[in-house]
Amino acid sequence: MKPNYLAGAGLLCVAVLAMSAQPSMPRLADGKPDLNGTWENGGGIDFLRPQTKADGSVCVTGCAPAAPAAPAAPAAAAAPARPAAAPPPPDRPRYRPEFEARVADLKRRQQKEDGVLRCQPPGVPRIGPPDKIVQTAREVVFLYEDVSGPFFRIVPLRQGVKRADDSESYLGDATGHWEGDTLVVVTRNFNELTWLTDDGAFHSGKLVVTERLTRRGDEIEYRATADDPGVLAEPWQIRPRRMVRTDVEMAEPAPCVEQDLSNMVDDTYHSNPR
Amino acid sequence: MRKVKQVLWLSVFALWLPAALAHHSLSGQFDTTQSFEIKGVVSRVDWVNPHTYVYVDVKQKDGTPLTYKLESLPVAMMRKAGLSKQELVGDGKPVVIQAYPARNGTPTLGYLLHLSLADGREIQFSRVPGAEQP
Repeated sequence: MKPNYLAGAGLLCVAVLAMSAQPSMPRLADGKPDLNGTWENGGGIDFLRPQTKADGSVCVTGCAPAAPAAPAAPAAAAAPARPAAAPPPPDRPRYRPEFEARVADLKRRQQKEDGVLRCQPPGVPRIGPPDKIVQTAREVVFLYEDVSGPFFRIVPLRQGVKRADDSESYLGDATGHWEGDTLVVVTRNFNELTWLTDDGAFHSGKLVVTERLTRRGDEIEYRATADDPGVLAEPWQIRPRRMVRTDVEMAEPAPCVEQDLSNMVDDTYHSNPR
Repeated sequence: MRKVKQVLWLSVFALWLPAALAHHSLSGQFDTTQSFEIKGVVSRVDWVNPHTYVYVDVKQKDGTPLTYKLESLPVAMMRKAGLSKQELVGDGKPVVIQAYPARNGTPTLGYLLHLSLADGREIQFSRVPGAEQP
């Protein structure tokens, strides 16, 4: 009996240690994961590494590389081998063959055709993860500080919510539900004025976007899939994003006032998927 | 005074980075192989997207100001670097600026690369062609 008792205690210790290794999961009173907060969302300018010197000088881009960090101490024990990570999804949606020429044409003329360059809403999933989330038991509100302007999306957590206008729109009509600890947001009723990403990635009004937000500690894993069977060859998964909680509150988003295009002397562009 | 530095230097990085979040090419507006330098006073800042604009009054020989309009980084990039509109507006003291010249021939239009403040601080928005990295 004694050996069994010790084995049980050992298993309990292992379980407790395993649980303590998991990030904590803040929850609301209804038991759902708490997604409230302001989040650095890993899109757009995540690459930016500004530098500030002791005298207050600032380098925003094109700075000399920062000094490399000291090498980490070797681990006490070798970590178990991990299976190879799955290859990342393509950063472009794949179109049905009959639409490839249209995409290529829009890409070539994107300086004239892309509404984002004229402060139009970017659409979903191009807008990326939200910058701030306000969550109650009945609804979730996504707030965005986007280069095209400030935007919000209201995500009811119940079906049949009547909106003031049911016309198709840039950001569509979203409805949310929980699958375990993951918030799943399904959005439909889009207009056809936005693109899925840069470079002519158009969609039809039958686009359905499914976003999945899973909190892990002070981070949220954000995934989104765009499905438009009449146009796309297959559902397109965007690059997964890691949203990191921040104590820096959002400022009022700056308005979008386009002043650049009239100074262009040619149609050059560069790809810059968010 | 406008001083043009002819530099046969082209950086893919410089072409791409400052226009992040939009995607028309910076080289479609500005000659990214050259820069010019002006000394003047910041008279206005448009704190807007997709790009901020800084206006600089440069005193001419006859004493009248000539206003340069300089495109710069998006607000989100400024904020991430800890920069604010007030920081760019400054205190009315002269500043020295390097900028790309416009390709459309407008002599008072440019893209802001570097700002030297009267108190000795410097702000590099993008790398100046031919300049050492800070």
